[in-house]
Amino acid sequence: MDKVFQNIKGKQKMRNIKENIELYLIMLPVLIHIFIFLYIPMYGIVIGFQNYLPGSPFIAFDGSVEWVGLRHIIYFVKSIYFTRILGNTVFLSLQLLVFGFWVPITFSILLNELKNGFFKKIVQTGSYLPHFISTVVVAGMVISFISTDGILNKLIVFLGGEKKDFLVDPKYFPSIYTMTNIWKTFGWSTILYLSHIAAINPNLYEAAKIDGANRFHRMWYVTLPSLLPSIDMLFIFAVGGLLNSNSQLILLIYNPALYKKADVIGTFLYRSGIAGGQFSYGTAVGLFMTIINFTLLYSANAITRKRSENALW
Amino acid sequence: MRMTGKNKNKIREGSMLVDIILYIIAGIILLITLYPMYYVLIMSISDPKEVTAMRVTLYPKGIYLGTYKLIANDVKMWRSYANTFFYVICVTALNCLTAVLGAYPLTNKSLIGRKWVTRYILIPMYFNGGLIPTFLLMNKLGLYNNRLSIIVPAAVSIWYIILVRTYFLSLPSSLRESAFIDGASHFSILFKIYVPLAKPILAVVAIYSAVGIWNSYFEAMIYLPNEDLHPLQMYLMRVLIQQTVNLKSLVKDEAELYISLMLSNIQLKYAMIIFTTLPIIFTYPYFQKYFIKGAMLGSLKE
Repeated sequence: MDKVFQNIKGKQKMRNIKENIELYLIMLPVLIHIFIFLYIPMYGIVIGFQNYLPGSPFIAFDGSVEWVGLRHIIYFVKSIYFTRILGNTVFLSLQLLVFGFWVPITFSILLNELKNGFFKKIVQTGSYLPHFISTVVVAGMVISFISTDGILNKLIVFLGGEKKDFLVDPKYFPSIYTMTNIWKTFGWSTILYLSHIAAINPNLYEAAKIDGANRFHRMWYVTLPSLLPSIDMLFIFAVGGLLNSNSQLILLIYNPALYKKADVIGTFLYRSGIAGGQFSYGTAVGLFMTIINFTLLYSANAITRKRSENALW
Repeated sequence: MRMTGKNKNKIREGSMLVDIILYIIAGIILLITLYPMYYVLIMSISDPKEVTAMRVTLYPKGIYLGTYKLIANDVKMWRSYANTFFYVICVTALNCLTAVLGAYPLTNKSLIGRKWVTRYILIPMYFNGGLIPTFLLMNKLGLYNNRLSIIVPAAVSIWYIILVRTYFLSLPSSLRESAFIDGASHFSILFKIYVPLAKPILAVVAIYSAVGIWNSYFEAMIYLPNEDLHPLQMYLMRVLIQQTVNLKSLVKDEAELYISLMLSNIQLKYAMIIFTTLPIIFTYPYFQKYFIKGAMLGSLKE
């Protein structure tokens, strides 16, 4: 009896191993791809501590690699770029957070108040349009709108103001950046909020109505609180992303005249690292910023965890 | 949109005035949102004289479609259009395939080391080597200035794998187990049972992937110096941003030369924007529901 049992067990084991080999074979292309394109670059970070020469291996033990330790990071922190880039990045993100964060929340509450029908559908679909327009087209439109003979200046003149050179004067850049980003994202960001509103138990509204709550009371005391968990979550993401500006957009809109206000981490990395060929320096700067970014996200999460139960981890 | 269509939490009573105000606000927001695109459209089809004088603001003044006729003759644009189609088709197909291949084994409880493999796949979502090490790697692999630089790195997306895995987990596991007991291999279970059932989620992956590749420019800017390989967005960048392409040079016909004197660069650029964005503008109202589905699934906490 025992023997038979062992036999079955053994067969099962064999079968299990065969099954696993097949499953791993199915995954193999994906696992190899992830290793090559995502893990090897992680290991490539070591060049941030070297004077890397293009073409040489990332690590060699024949003494051909010149290790410089933290020299690149120290050089960066001491340069004028550190405060400028960090300042610009944080300023642009904060401004976007202050002016943009509440827009989709308000808009989704507004949408919820409209009766279901053709009009609501049009408003919703229309608000998604900017999300699907490519960054290059958006940047091209922004540049032509704000140029000296563009429509924005035409409007300013029409209202009695004076023409402004938005593409040369850096002080306008943060507002342009903020407005463009809000325009591009506010509609799309309502999706998450709307799904939470749709999940509210209708009895809550009924109960509030019986208790004498009017329309605005119900928006404020029923709809808005139901959004708090997602507001918390997105707020953590926003704070954690303070160092992630939309550099793909900035890269297209800015020009050397605007660097003072427009140069951010992503654009600096591209300019010095890729376009300028300072591979080691760029890598070190990128790594340093990633570490600061991670600290930010971690702190934001810790604060949220203390305040409520909606922390990410 | 279906999910709000079912929403019964409407506040139906209340004064008409409040309703009217809310509708007006929503209408104004809609107009502001759509105006930039609308402005580009009416500028591109108006009479060149009116456009040059900047007299077009609310509606097209005098219809002139010559700009589109010129642009339709732009060989470089068509080449970049073709390139974009090629990239979109390759990457989308590969994304669907790798998402399925990566997701299926992870849903199988008998997979030894499932926890570790899942971690191995998830870690790069939080940490990555960054721009420059990736760039150097691509150079070493010989992908610089090669069409494959757009296709190969984009072939696998962790996010799509997670999306498909979540979907597979929602399918009853008895489906797989009974087929397995009947002697079917995992490979045939995956492609004969799971993939046909996964069509809804594969539609989401395909559309995300296609729109993403259609709209991206950064990879091409970094890896493709050869203009013949450029996707549409890079061509647009040269036209709209770097302004290294002069659309007026498209005028070949002597008889049209006099028009080109009046035709402003801005009108040609706007026509180019409309011409290259039309495929998205016309189709997104139909595929937005897949996008919304993806956004909802992606926001679920694992």
